Amino acid sequence: MTTNPTDPEKEKMMTENYLWDASGAPDPEIQRLELLLADFRQVDRALVLPAKIPTAPRRFHGLLLRMPWFPRLAAAAAIVLALGVTLFFSLRPKFAPDAGPAWDVANLEGAPKIGTKTIAVNQGPAKLHVGQTIVTNADSRASLSQSDLGEIRIDPNSRLRLVQTDANRKRIQLDAGTIHAAIWAPPGTFVVDTPSAVAIDLGCAYTLQVAPDGSGTLRTTLGWVGFHLNGRDSFIPAGAMCSTRPALGPGIPYFEDATPAFRQAIAQFDSSPQDSPARSAALTMILSEARAHDALSLWHLLSRTTAPERAQVYARFAALVPPPKGVTRSGILNLDQSMLDLWWNSLGLGEISTWRYWEQSASPQPSSNSQQLLQKKQSSVQDQR
Amino acid sequence: MAALSELRSPRPGPPAVNPLHEPGGPDDALVRAAQRGDRAAFGLLYARYSRMVHGILLSRVPYSDVDDLVQDVFLQALRRLADLREVSRFPGWLVSIARNRANDFHRRVKPNEEFDEESASAQAEQRVPSTRHSSHSSAEAHAVLDAIRSLPDAYRESLILRLVEGMTGPEIAARTGLTHGSVRVNLHRGMFQLREILGRKASPPTGDAL
Repeated sequence: MTTNPTDPEKEKMMTENYLWDASGAPDPEIQRLELLLADFRQVDRALVLPAKIPTAPRRFHGLLLRMPWFPRLAAAAAIVLALGVTLFFSLRPKFAPDAGPAWDVANLEGAPKIGTKTIAVNQGPAKLHVGQTIVTNADSRASLSQSDLGEIRIDPNSRLRLVQTDANRKRIQLDAGTIHAAIWAPPGTFVVDTPSAVAIDLGCAYTLQVAPDGSGTLRTTLGWVGFHLNGRDSFIPAGAMCSTRPALGPGIPYFEDATPAFRQAIAQFDSSPQDSPARSAALTMILSEARAHDALSLWHLLSRTTAPERAQVYARFAALVPPPKGVTRSGILNLDQSMLDLWWNSLGLGEISTWRYWEQSASPQPSSNSQQLLQKKQSSVQDQR
Repeated sequence: MAALSELRSPRPGPPAVNPLHEPGGPDDALVRAAQRGDRAAFGLLYARYSRMVHGILLSRVPYSDVDDLVQDVFLQALRRLADLREVSRFPGWLVSIARNRANDFHRRVKPNEEFDEESASAQAEQRVPSTRHSSHSSAEAHAVLDAIRSLPDAYRESLILRLVEGMTGPEIAARTGLTHGSVRVNLHRGMFQLREILGRKASPPTGDAL
């Protein structure tokens, strides 16, 4: 307290100011409580939402309750429900807690846990079932493996849940921490949900890191990976990396050997609002620093820029990597998808039809119509090539 | 690539509202956008209000359960958002969901209080939030938190938002939908009572106390 102790009114007012809006002379007691309680403060954690949100039932129950026949109907429904529940429990097969497909878990170091159970070093491989979570603390590491998938090493301070494992899809949710994945399953089979993007393996090895605030970083060492959120896609080939942020999704990917100025400009472009001077300056820097190898970033920029910006990107991109046959300036400026796909394929970083296939098959229940569309799209790409 | 998907998507592009441009602005537009199904807008509402929800839950449920319940509250809010007719009431509406979720948590937990040594020790581990403090300080922090939780609802919520979540009085008012006057009163009366409780605990027991 820095106020004159002989002036209690003034002292009280300043203390009150500090309690109200942290202005005025700090109250040592309140400061001590703030410091003491700071560990309970919310740690920035991204919101994890399921792909589909079931809507809450509409409010018509009040109306139902007023109907004269409602009590009799409710009683009849209760009897039917009770009968149904009795039948279900008497006829269903006995529940086996460890039944169903599972992945092998090995303790690499320390005491990783599945739920609250520690995985012992000498117990042989433990099993991770769908819905279970594996957690590593600061001193522990673990590995997950599945014969027809690959291997995933889990670094310390990570939290990961097995969401799905069947013939067509293996899906995990990485809430926090770092994994190193080496995948030999067919492209598009292995999917990782993170708080700020979905990572789709397209035949590769990569490292994926999720920070406590939900942001993420993906580095590919072999093959390539797709990063996807809310209609925004980034492709990360070997040697490249990409950041992603909650709500905004994946940014522009870039090769790690790009110049520091280029990398810094990419980060600035991703974080600057549209039409801001900072974004404009970043784009200028990106274009001036870009090498032919950085066509990866320029290709992504084409679809994340305004029309005037896109014209600049096209000019630089075309100077570094001439557009292949069938790709025109006006088509690219109008974001013609088949032309963008052709130009991507000409970069030799991965066959984009793999991604298009994943996009279609990722739908929970792909309709026959969407399958036809997919085949049409793939054959059109083949024809153009 | 966004535009590639935009061409196929009925709802292309960035969020209808760009909150980066108006960090302190009213949230009505964000709420409306979220009601239309804009996930990014909802993500931003989460960013703005999750601290408040965390504080309200912390004033009622064990620390180890708060993070999961925060997620539950926002999931519930997202499900019901279409039913919110006056978007300006979003803060108070969200506060109600958080309080109800905390009450629901206690209703569900109480009948099943079975002792499970393994999970109990795991929970005890989680109750110590970090290693920043010594075990003595950590025990003191829990004691202070318990003291705040013993206060009346309005006081404990405001105090936790102020002392734990680090929100100022005006922020608490904006996020909870309370008036400045109410928050100010809650903070001062709550702090007064908290000082009394902590003073009693700090004093050595006397015959009078018994």
